[in-house]
Amino acid sequence: MSTLTKEESKKRVWRVCAILGIVTICEIAAALIHYKFFEESPRMVLNLLFIVLSALKAYYIMSEFMHLKYELKPMTISILAPFMFLIWGIIAFLWEGHYWLSAREFWDVLR
Amino acid sequence: METTTTSVTSAKELWNGGDSPFRVSYGKIMIWYFLISDTFSFAGLLISYGAIRSSQPKHDALNPHSWPDPNEVFNAGPGFHHAPLVFVTFMTFTLIVSSVTMVRAVQEGHYMNRAGVMKWLGWTILGGLTFVLSQAWEWTHLIHEGMNPMSNPFGASAFGALFFLITGFHGFHVSVGVCMNTWALIATRKRVFEKRGHYEMIEKLGLYWHFVDLVWVYVFLAFYLF
Repeated sequence: MSTLTKEESKKRVWRVCAILGIVTICEIAAALIHYKFFEESPRMVLNLLFIVLSALKAYYIMSEFMHLKYELKPMTISILAPFMFLIWGIIAFLWEGHYWLSAREFWDVLR
Repeated sequence: METTTTSVTSAKELWNGGDSPFRVSYGKIMIWYFLISDTFSFAGLLISYGAIRSSQPKHDALNPHSWPDPNEVFNAGPGFHHAPLVFVTFMTFTLIVSSVTMVRAVQEGHYMNRAGVMKWLGWTILGGLTFVLSQAWEWTHLIHEGMNPMSNPFGASAFGALFFLITGFHGFHVSVGVCMNTWALIATRKRVFEKRGHYEMIEKLGLYWHFVDLVWVYVFLAFYLF
């Protein structure tokens, strides 16, 4: 921020707004195209696309809007590092969820 | 000996005391730490959403207990039907634009431009209110359709419970943000920050507001896209 002039930082903000808007439109378009034309096909690729695009939006919000790109590196690291725990959380709990499903199906068959 | 000590302390040694190592004020680092803990609250909710969802059968039009298709649940808005995801797109855009107007308010604060801060803060409040009211409409609509925390006509009942819990928690954050921004608008009008000599409070509120926008990216992903 300090190195940018007022006009530059203004322009940058509206550019990020446009990027976020376009990414959101891409997500909605992908969801609707899948719904209208490929309803029965697997969602693997689609969901992967959604994850990547959401991460892109999160990057722009955190780096530009929340100004994290312009802070000192130790500060950025101390804010982002705790989120590493979430990677484990997501993997472990989705795994557990699948297990509940298969356990339920197993007992339904026996019953 | 003396020369080495002075060269070490006068250079970019941020961790030798006498300087803020992060070059950030106390208030700003504290709002960041609050946001980190709040991220874990939302992450806890969204991860349990993921665990419960993956424990339910995948969407299947023939199975009434399977996970519902968001395109079929969220297909209405005020005055229109059979338009999947249109209303939520509007809500998402409202939140993105209100985030941008908040950045503009923060920037005007840096230049000590009181009128500019008030103008952009006003737009941010309007965007936040539009979002909360849209969500209220959507909740009312879904409750009329028969969806509530206990049951869900579109499929797995857990969908209803998780939807109201998580969008409710997010909507609560947006409402709190709107209240705090309204307070800041009044304080700006009363020249509180002008007398203080800086608009750092607007910056802190901005961090909170962008966080709310950031969480919406993932709520949107979990409920409306996946």
